[in-house]
Amino acid sequence: MGVLVKKVELSWLDRTYVWPVMKGMGITFQHFLKQLFTPTAKRFTIQYPDMKKEMPSGYRGLHELKRFEDGAIKCVACFMCQEACPARCISIEAEEFSDLNITQGFEEKRPAKFSIDMLRCIYCGMCEEACPKDAIWLRKDYEVAAYDRLSMQFGKWDLMNTYTEADGKESISQDPTPSVPRRTIAL
Amino acid sequence: MDKLASLLHTTPAIAWMVAKLVIVFGGVFSLAALWTWVERRGSAMIQDRIGPNRAALFGKIKIIGLAQPLADGIKFFFKEDLVPHDANKALFWLAPFLALVPALMGFAVIPFGRSFMSGGQEYHMALLDPGNGMGLLYPLAIGGMAVYGVLVAAWSSNNKWSILGGMRASAAMVSYEIGMSLAVVTIFMTAGGYDPSEVINAQGHLPWAWNVVRQPLGFIVFFTCMFAETNRLPFDFAEGESEIVAGFNTEYGSMKFSLLALAEYCHLMTASALMATLYFGGWQVPFVQNPAVMLSVLSFLVKMLFFAWVFVWIRWTLPRFRYDQLMHLGWKVMLPLSMANLVFHAWRMSQGH
Repeated sequence: MGVLVKKVELSWLDRTYVWPVMKGMGITFQHFLKQLFTPTAKRFTIQYPDMKKEMPSGYRGLHELKRFEDGAIKCVACFMCQEACPARCISIEAEEFSDLNITQGFEEKRPAKFSIDMLRCIYCGMCEEACPKDAIWLRKDYEVAAYDRLSMQFGKWDLMNTYTEADGKESISQDPTPSVPRRTIAL
Repeated sequence: MDKLASLLHTTPAIAWMVAKLVIVFGGVFSLAALWTWVERRGSAMIQDRIGPNRAALFGKIKIIGLAQPLADGIKFFFKEDLVPHDANKALFWLAPFLALVPALMGFAVIPFGRSFMSGGQEYHMALLDPGNGMGLLYPLAIGGMAVYGVLVAAWSSNNKWSILGGMRASAAMVSYEIGMSLAVVTIFMTAGGYDPSEVINAQGHLPWAWNVVRQPLGFIVFFTCMFAETNRLPFDFAEGESEIVAGFNTEYGSMKFSLLALAEYCHLMTASALMATLYFGGWQVPFVQNPAVMLSVLSFLVKMLFFAWVFVWIRWTLPRFRYDQLMHLGWKVMLPLSMANLVFHAWRMSQGH
């Protein structure tokens, strides 16, 4: 099968080569002036450490463990996310807790440890899909880097506190309800 | 000037000579260094990028990245200075200087301002006083020497890519020199002399009497040949990432590479100064009969820097030529054109214009 090659007929002005060169220089100079008089904030280039890109909605970045207003973790340690995770980077240890006293027994479940290995995580968002309580979200933040491997193991409190500053929330490092029920003296 | 000279226990002539040396070579050198920055920023702006803007003095003072040449220089000084095992060591060391010296020396004869009288003595704003007998033949001759820099650098590094690039570049430079010389000869003919001051005086202060209006064809030929002479982009055959790695400076590193790069920019400065002198009236200020000395220097500087910018501008506008296209353009287009230019102006002079 033959290929038809269109031959472009150049006018005598184009064949001088001088005029097309001047046209080209006009184009580049337009770009030069446009870029020169564009303020830095409006240029295409995002100057990373000073400026940060607004990620599109639906971007899957670093995880956050959501909490109630009193600071209690929303996660109920159902292990759904751990099961759903294709990279197997989530590991959970559950515990029981209650506001009731020891004689009345426990009634709630929550993770004692909840760790995500960020080196293994592929940010697929399966944990977010699997969660029945909307307790784990993937945020838009993408600056996940550290100097050593250990710092990439995010624990329960890391995941709960990562966004406290950005969201104006209080940083917490303790559950509002202790895992061992309060001893009330029943007389 | 007299007072300064007596303070230094020399004659005014020697003091002025030293001052001129510092001004001319220091000036050209620092402009060349600055132009590496202008080239990078300019190309970035042309391509809708930003370019180097982060180099800061003491980590604080960011003057739109103007510290970049400084940072580059410091970096180059601290790089390892490698000489390939099988290279010709003496020539390998000599080549950067062979490239740099002719590029700087060409500037010596170009007047960068109006001559002035002080204390009964006339001071000329050019390293070599007018009437030295060499005139503008000197930068042309020195420009021919620039081939050695590229060729010696290429040959001494004992590298196939280098030698390919060097041979190509020197062939281009030599073949374009003919067209360029013929264009310049036309100017000598109409000006009635080859001394730069004569050429400038013949052009006068009115822009429509400048050689660019009188001989537009000659200007186009000269301008094009200057790109081939300086090895700048539409005709840069010394280098070529896609085919011969970095060409003639493949084996060069550290300060030697930096010198080769600086030589290119010094050459660019000399070429633009030549262009301003030959075709744009040198230090003449448009519509001013006898300009003040500083004004004439400023005028020359503006013209020179404009052409230096045009070099950068053209580089980021045009794609490269193929080698056979370059030779075609040089021998079959530029040479006949400049010959036609020469014959036309000779005919006009014979008609008494």
